[in-house]
Amino acid sequence: MNKTKKKPLSFDSRIVAYGSLVFAALYSVWPIMVMGLEGYNVDLSPLFSGKGIRFVGGVPAYSGGIYPTPIHYLDALFIGAFPRLLGNTLLISAISIAMALAAGLGTAYMLARIPVRGRGVLSYLLLALRAVSPFLVIVPLYIYYTRNGLWDTYFGLALAEELTILSVVVWMLRGFFADIPREVYDAAAVFGASEGQIFRRVALRMVIPGVIVTVVFSFILIWNEFVIADILSGGAAKTVAVGVWSGLGESVQAFKVVSPDDLNAGGFLAWVPAIAVMLAIRKYLAKGYSLGTAS
Amino acid sequence: MTETKAKRRSESISYWYLFLIPLFAILAVIEFYPLVEGIGDSFTNPNGAFSFSNYTMIFADHAFWSALLVSLAYTVGSTSLCVAVGLVLAFLVTQRVRGRGFFEALYVFPLAVSPIVVGVVWAPGGVWDDIQTFTHFILHIPYWNELSVFFYFPVMILSEAWEWGPLIMLVALSIVNAQSPAVFEAAEVFGATAWQRFRMVAVPSILRSPVLQFVVVLRLIDAMRAFEIPLAWSNWVGFQTTIGSPVDTLSLYLYKLIFIPAYGFPLGLITAVGVALLGGTLVAAYAMMRLLQRVGASRP
Repeated sequence: MNKTKKKPLSFDSRIVAYGSLVFAALYSVWPIMVMGLEGYNVDLSPLFSGKGIRFVGGVPAYSGGIYPTPIHYLDALFIGAFPRLLGNTLLISAISIAMALAAGLGTAYMLARIPVRGRGVLSYLLLALRAVSPFLVIVPLYIYYTRNGLWDTYFGLALAEELTILSVVVWMLRGFFADIPREVYDAAAVFGASEGQIFRRVALRMVIPGVIVTVVFSFILIWNEFVIADILSGGAAKTVAVGVWSGLGESVQAFKVVSPDDLNAGGFLAWVPAIAVMLAIRKYLAKGYSLGTAS
Repeated sequence: MTETKAKRRSESISYWYLFLIPLFAILAVIEFYPLVEGIGDSFTNPNGAFSFSNYTMIFADHAFWSALLVSLAYTVGSTSLCVAVGLVLAFLVTQRVRGRGFFEALYVFPLAVSPIVVGVVWAPGGVWDDIQTFTHFILHIPYWNELSVFFYFPVMILSEAWEWGPLIMLVALSIVNAQSPAVFEAAEVFGATAWQRFRMVAVPSILRSPVLQFVVVLRLIDAMRAFEIPLAWSNWVGFQTTIGSPVDTLSLYLYKLIFIPAYGFPLGLITAVGVALLGGTLVAAYAMMRLLQRVGASRP
């Protein structure tokens, strides 16, 4: 919609446009902002009563009683386990993504380019993997993990997180391989490269930006994943999402009461890296969440 | 490609199956083994003998049927609201004003909130405090009872739609941007307003796009197994240890069966419910497959 000259909006309709944009921005951002402020023990709600500001002897005073304190953030960051959980999550996602790439790159290339038999079955299998609820497999997996010493280990959790990312990785990479222009493959074939050489020396190099996007996107998925990480981890291999809910630095219990301020501070701390990473790959978010179908 | 060439090629490509070995090695541990084991457990009664008793138990279990109903209501409600929110956001950022990219970035914010934290964000103590105070003191509406199901169930649906609406927006934008601008210009020549252009030109093509339908099916699947937001709400409204409550989706029902000692870890029942859900999963995957083929067909 860029090429033709467009009619500029009138003053009135621009006001309406910005008004609606700002309203929707409040809808999107306000809850997150409230979460960040609650972490500082700041409650804005008296302002919305219209009676939030009183004048005491001519001096404005806030009737909500704000005593902002960074204690919950400091507690999470320096006394609680947030740094350790951050390290856990990074390590687990690194192992998990490396495994997914090792298993996914060849498969994705095959799905995109090589007309072997059984591609349809494989596609269906990978889609079913995306559709399967973790609760279908988690109980036998939990029993298996506890018996074989995989429960609450980095490797065990990384392996289980393949449930979350493996199909996404394969489908995204398939899309990126398919996006490489046909002419490139044809040119390589003309120069006598075998299909294996084309994969190793041409396609793998051209797909590197796509791999980076896939890695970042998988990281977001693991960062926010809760069910698997909660059930298959105890105190040692806990991830950030689990730690925020079950109390930073304490052992996992099914239903645990954590103070609301700590929950809010932890939730906000967990949100900041996720949104930073997400905005960095904003153009590819639709592609990732749609298994590579959206452009 | 000629016939012989294609034939020669297909003879030399069977080594590509080797690439499937690591994939299937992973799947064997995390997918096939637990599924087989689970199916076996579901046909085993507590004495270790083969029986269908676990499946007959499902039919007698009110908590299961209640969870199924809750999940269905939650799925339909949250997905339709999510699509509505996404389309409205997409309309807003296609308006021709400066800074719409900035607003688009702001609208993505909820997508980065971990689902378990969404349950915290929309909890009674947080945002609802502000909204309640406003509606009570300024609009003079009586306080809502936050423990009433007519309050918290819509709020759960709203929070799910709040988180995933931006995704529908992003997908809708990618569809609109791929469309020929000529259609919009023609509509403009005929005097259509921005809203009319969006409603009558963009929305039909968005909804008809197999890409959006694919994403909506994914959303339906994810909402059907919704867990984190209901888990948080079962804490806020005091259903930590009851199954069959209005917040218990199928996933939360299974979670409580697993982790609450009072239910005695009924392994057979848990796995039987899982196997019953597998049918729905396979149907959903088939729907995804069909839509995916249509996506491929619509691409140049």
